[in-house]
Amino acid sequence: MRAIGAGVIAWLLGLIPLGWLLVQIWQLQSGDWEILGPEPGKAIVHFTGEWGLYCLIASLTATTLWRRGRQRLLLQHRRTLGLLCFLYTTLHLLAYCAFLLEWQWQDVASEIIKRPYLLLGAFGWLLLIPLAVTSTRNWQRRLASRWKKLHRLVYVVAVLVAIHYLLQIRANWLEPVLFSSMLFILLFERFLVTQIRPKSF
Amino acid sequence: MLIRTRKRSDVLPSEITPQGAYLNRRQFMAEAGALALAALAPSSAFALQRPRTPPEVSAGPIWLQQQILKAHDSQYGKTDKPAPWGAITGYNNFYEFGYDKTDPAANAHTLKTDPWSVTIGGLCEKPGTRTLEDILAGVELEERIYRLRCVEAWSMVIPWIGFPLADLIRQARPLSSARYVSFRTLEDSTQMPGQKSRFSTIEWPYREGLRMDEATHPLTILAVGLYGEVLPNQNGAPLRLVVPWKYGFKSIKSIVGIDFIEEMPMTTWNQTDPREYGFYANVNPAVDHPRWSQASERRLPAGLFSDSRIPTLPFNGYGEEVASLYTGMDLTRLY
Repeated sequence: MRAIGAGVIAWLLGLIPLGWLLVQIWQLQSGDWEILGPEPGKAIVHFTGEWGLYCLIASLTATTLWRRGRQRLLLQHRRTLGLLCFLYTTLHLLAYCAFLLEWQWQDVASEIIKRPYLLLGAFGWLLLIPLAVTSTRNWQRRLASRWKKLHRLVYVVAVLVAIHYLLQIRANWLEPVLFSSMLFILLFERFLVTQIRPKSF
Repeated sequence: MLIRTRKRSDVLPSEITPQGAYLNRRQFMAEAGALALAALAPSSAFALQRPRTPPEVSAGPIWLQQQILKAHDSQYGKTDKPAPWGAITGYNNFYEFGYDKTDPAANAHTLKTDPWSVTIGGLCEKPGTRTLEDILAGVELEERIYRLRCVEAWSMVIPWIGFPLADLIRQARPLSSARYVSFRTLEDSTQMPGQKSRFSTIEWPYREGLRMDEATHPLTILAVGLYGEVLPNQNGAPLRLVVPWKYGFKSIKSIVGIDFIEEMPMTTWNQTDPREYGFYANVNPAVDHPRWSQASERRLPAGLFSDSRIPTLPFNGYGEEVASLYTGMDLTRLY
């Protein structure tokens, strides 16, 4: 029972940003156009993208914290963090198609193909789908040792996400460089582990 | 970050004047009766575009306020519906005050716009430093409603108060060898904290430039006011360029220097990323920005489910007046 309680709390915490966003969208639709600024669609695209990134960093940090610091808190909720990452990036992509391209399908296709940063982002999202689908205990059992290998795809996603962000630098490189370095440090930590114990997996 | 909390000083939707009321003061006085009736009408028509009203106490010196109030109505651009005050003054790219669109409105109060002077130099007969008061004494202010098309694929309709740049250029008497005009924004990191940022790829001060025929074109203005008020700092007070057929970044803000030169000047965005930003920067739906299409734009303020996406027009719709400036030029290459 206690485990279920903690799981529910983790989900609720992770859904707070989404709840906040929905409240603001509701306020916007009831006439307070300033709540999300004059370009609410873009604000929503950025907001969902940022939270997808935070969840990805948190889920990668979970394993590292356990390995390096014997800290279990994040590790217990790694699945939740991964699914939240999938949720926010899905909303990010949907918001982009709905609010910035207004469902003009030919534009969605041509834009994503023409712009490398969009192509990388879209590819990263596609790779998250099998990870989200196989995130249940059932799938974990069925895939057995292959499950772990499959879920290493998240490292590829992390690289794609970092480049997706870095390619968007205009004049200010602080945030893109900061968050990409966090992703690269987390990946490097895993690389170090394989160097030290080459036969452990 | 998206999460915004409401400040005590913010105006609540319930306190807001209807759309019609801020067209500008002169019109307001003239049409007071009609507007009084409009104010009684159901507010649903304004549901998405409720403006934050202009400040009660106008910024800027009294003499400038008075001069702006006397500006005459050019009738230019009356067919477009201006964006609300709050959108124009709350959503700005002015990296001298921060990178987020809301940063300039929050931070630009540190800019001291009075006294202000502009140094005019280079290839002209009458170089020298002139105060803003002196410059404005020699020109006639008028209201012009222009569409501003940002290179980021959004646009707003803005009711500027200003005067043709050509009037100022004429006073300086440029030499015939002067083929370009270059502009410079203030460089002072105590007033413009964004210039202190170590994470910026921009070299300060901000610079822009125009070819002489572009600079003297009647559509090119220097603005000092907005909606019949003194221009707010975040919009480039006290003196900014407005070139409506070019992307917004050409319209340099808070100008302190104007030079007449022979060679094409260095401009900030062109220098920062020449692949993405050309010198001419004419609005052109046929030439994409490397990271997005310029074929359409979002007219702001936008709702979430309203069709705010409209096709972008060559020269931002001012082609009839300015296309002849570029006859024979390959605008795909000279973007």
